[in-house]
Amino acid sequence: MSDLQATLPAGPVRRPASAKRWLVRLAIAVLLLLPPVFSNDYVQYVVNLIVVYALVAVGFNVVLGYLGQLAFANAAFFGIGAYTCGISMVHLGLPFWAALVPTGIVSLAAGALVGLPALRLKGYYLAIVTLVLGELMRWSYIHGDVLTAGSSGLGIPPATAAGFTFGTEDEKYYLFLLVAAVMIWATNNIIRSRIGRSWVAIRENELATAALGMSPAVGKVTAFAWSGFVVGIAGALFAILIGRIAPESFNLHQLLLHFAIVMIGGLGSILGSILGAIVLTAAPEVLRNFPGMEEIVFSLLLIGVLLFMPRGLQGVLVGWFPRLRERLYRE
Amino acid sequence: MFVQLILSGVAQGSIYALVALGMTALFRATTIVNFGHGEFFMGGAFVLYVMINVVGLPFLPGALLAIVVMFLVGMTIERVLIRPMGLAPHIALAMMTVAFSFLFRGIARAFWGREVLPMPAVFSFPPIDVAGVIITTQDLLITGMTLFFVVLFFIFFQRTNLGRIAQAASANPRGASLVGINVNLFHGTMWGVAAGLGAIAGILVAPITLLYPDMGALILIKAFAAMTLGGFGNLGGAVVGGLLIGILEQLSGGYLSTALIDIFAYLVIIAVLLIRPAGLFGIRESQRV
Amino acid sequence: MSLLQVENVSVQFFGLKALSDVTFDVEPGQVRAVIGPNGAGKSTLFNVITGYVRPNEGKVVYDGQSVVGLPRHVVAGRGMRRTFQNGGVFSELTVLENVLTGLNAVTASSTLGIVLRLPGAGAAERRAVDEAMSLLETMGLAGLANNVVGDLSSGQQRLVEITRAMAARARLLLLDEPAVGLSSSERDRLMNVLRDLAKDGVAVLLVEHVIDLVMAVSDRIVVLNYGEVIAEGTPEEIRSHEAVLEAYLGHG
Repeated sequence: MSDLQATLPAGPVRRPASAKRWLVRLAIAVLLLLPPVFSNDYVQYVVNLIVVYALVAVGFNVVLGYLGQLAFANAAFFGIGAYTCGISMVHLGLPFWAALVPTGIVSLAAGALVGLPALRLKGYYLAIVTLVLGELMRWSYIHGDVLTAGSSGLGIPPATAAGFTFGTEDEKYYLFLLVAAVMIWATNNIIRSRIGRSWVAIRENELATAALGMSPAVGKVTAFAWSGFVVGIAGALFAILIGRIAPESFNLHQLLLHFAIVMIGGLGSILGSILGAIVLTAAPEVLRNFPGMEEIVFSLLLIGVLLFMPRGLQGVLVGWFPRLRERLYRE
Repeated sequence: MFVQLILSGVAQGSIYALVALGMTALFRATTIVNFGHGEFFMGGAFVLYVMINVVGLPFLPGALLAIVVMFLVGMTIERVLIRPMGLAPHIALAMMTVAFSFLFRGIARAFWGREVLPMPAVFSFPPIDVAGVIITTQDLLITGMTLFFVVLFFIFFQRTNLGRIAQAASANPRGASLVGINVNLFHGTMWGVAAGLGAIAGILVAPITLLYPDMGALILIKAFAAMTLGGFGNLGGAVVGGLLIGILEQLSGGYLSTALIDIFAYLVIIAVLLIRPAGLFGIRESQRV
Repeated sequence: MSLLQVENVSVQFFGLKALSDVTFDVEPGQVRAVIGPNGAGKSTLFNVITGYVRPNEGKVVYDGQSVVGLPRHVVAGRGMRRTFQNGGVFSELTVLENVLTGLNAVTASSTLGIVLRLPGAGAAERRAVDEAMSLLETMGLAGLANNVVGDLSSGQQRLVEITRAMAARARLLLLDEPAVGLSSSERDRLMNVLRDLAKDGVAVLLVEHVIDLVMAVSDRIVVLNYGEVIAEGTPEEIRSHEAVLEAYLGHG
């Protein structure tokens, strides 16, 4: 043990000096602002899709990776967000930024509502109920055609703010980047607090969690609510991006894509979710001319991750750069 | 109309029952819930299609061969994907089943694209008219074959060594190795049996339905509904649950609204799990500390 | 007044008596041990006190209030903390993260403050980290703060679990076989920690097999056999108690 103590720093990991840290952040910010300069419309569309899916995956990871519950309500949250935003814009005439308010409220509530059965149902039962919920939502989009325009899909007007229209892919990119950055920042704040720690504690050992004075019920409902909120907002971005949302956009295939992104990126890692979104959103675009290849490649990646790298891409990266290990506290 | 609806409900429910029975048997033997079971159903139908349309076999040998192929596929899945995971947590095993279901769909799509394939009609007997109630030969065949296979399965479960082991193993999941059986071989066989039962269901509906790579997804949820209604893990419950779902679906579609047929099974799952998670014939699990 | 009173508690599992008519109490600043042969009902007793098993008869009064039927986390939130016989550590988390979860219930950061990273919430979170580090210091675990708990020896994991349990100023600490897997130096450290805790007014209830540790740290001992209290008293009294020698120590 004394050998071990000698090689390890005592206490929280010492991060690079503050100035260096700010430089790194600045560099990342500049890099994030650059893509529209080099991309054409199509490439930019794919980049925008990556931003949306990164946010989706971060939200899904809250339940799947941090809380450790096998719940499949993610396509439902995604659709609820997209449709709430779309309906608010089309039927209530709200501009996009204002439509985010009802979108946020409805998807937060939807998340909390799905969290309630999670208090009683464990493991497979929860997985089945949430899987069914997604299909039920899809059915209601088809049959609620007064609001949703049914199977033909609901056309979404472009986002506007103060007379400015986010019409091109480049303009959408900066809007999406702002929204996604704020949401991911907030999620990271939660993960590194007592709330995020209680989620992980529930995943690791629910009985011990209660014995430490944390209510597993409260932890589960807050995790589901936050997950629903983040994924719902991502759904709103998705609606703006593709301009027309149809029930088929939120089917099992969509769910499997989310699932693959989170798993392959790495359970319980924000960085992993972003990495997963980059890899798995770009891949289908490359494979789009080969039917079935998308599923085959995704499933082989998934199988590989499950068999050989349980922490996904992020786990591999942390193996190379231990500093990337994400903590559940702030120094 | 009532009798007519019941009859087609029984035929439809037979399919659910077969798929649910395979899933339940697998769950009892291995404690794994297979989210890829719908793809065994799809696989059975597609392999049959290949046997008849590509290889050129008649229906019966083609069907038998398809069952054998799917049995081997089930065993291969156990050997290559499930066994290496050892005693991984349930959530990881469930994820693996999701992964291979995705793989199967991809393979089917790679060959058939997004097309929908009709199976050439295999039988062309005229429907039978019994006092105004019309019974199609296919419904009769499906119900009869299901009855045959369900009886066969239960005889296997009660009378054979493997069946007795399956029962012992389910009483003490994963602990069966303690009593000196070859757990790997046993699990592999159960995966094969489960895949075979799923394939039989797919083969039975293939002649009257359209084939498409995603056809397994819907049947998976119906089978979940059957299992949940009958009591998760209860073999008889899975069969009864499947038949009930099939009948109730038809009745609600006939008397209430056809749109309800699509979501009836979903509503059953949610209602049962929220009100009585143990289902009709299940036993409440006692909580352990 | 005693902090914990166990009064006439009986528990049956499927008609088998696991505990019958057990009565004793624990005072602040007291180390109380429960000993007995395997299957004597020690763990069941623990589970009854901490709300994991409901007694068929009897009362458990903690801090003047009955705690039977209360949610576990509510009781834990009032300062009754326990460890688990089979290990309740969060093995994929680091040592520091584990101890921080123990402090969660007393980390006064508001939800909104956390989401928006407001200064007040940040300060509360940082205080928790400091407190966790100083606790780890006293337990001699500070050097392992960033190690993943699952990679540690079983003795070290025990110490982490105990540190985590006592983190939020526990008033009653229930330790289920804390000395299992500990090296002799770790055992000494545990004994010192228990004595210090008692000196600070914490009540400690201990289920333990390691008799010399029990004899060395306990103020009073309860001996269970087949779910019944067969002796109660100071270590000296227990050492010379005939029924105890026969039921337990004699065969030990």
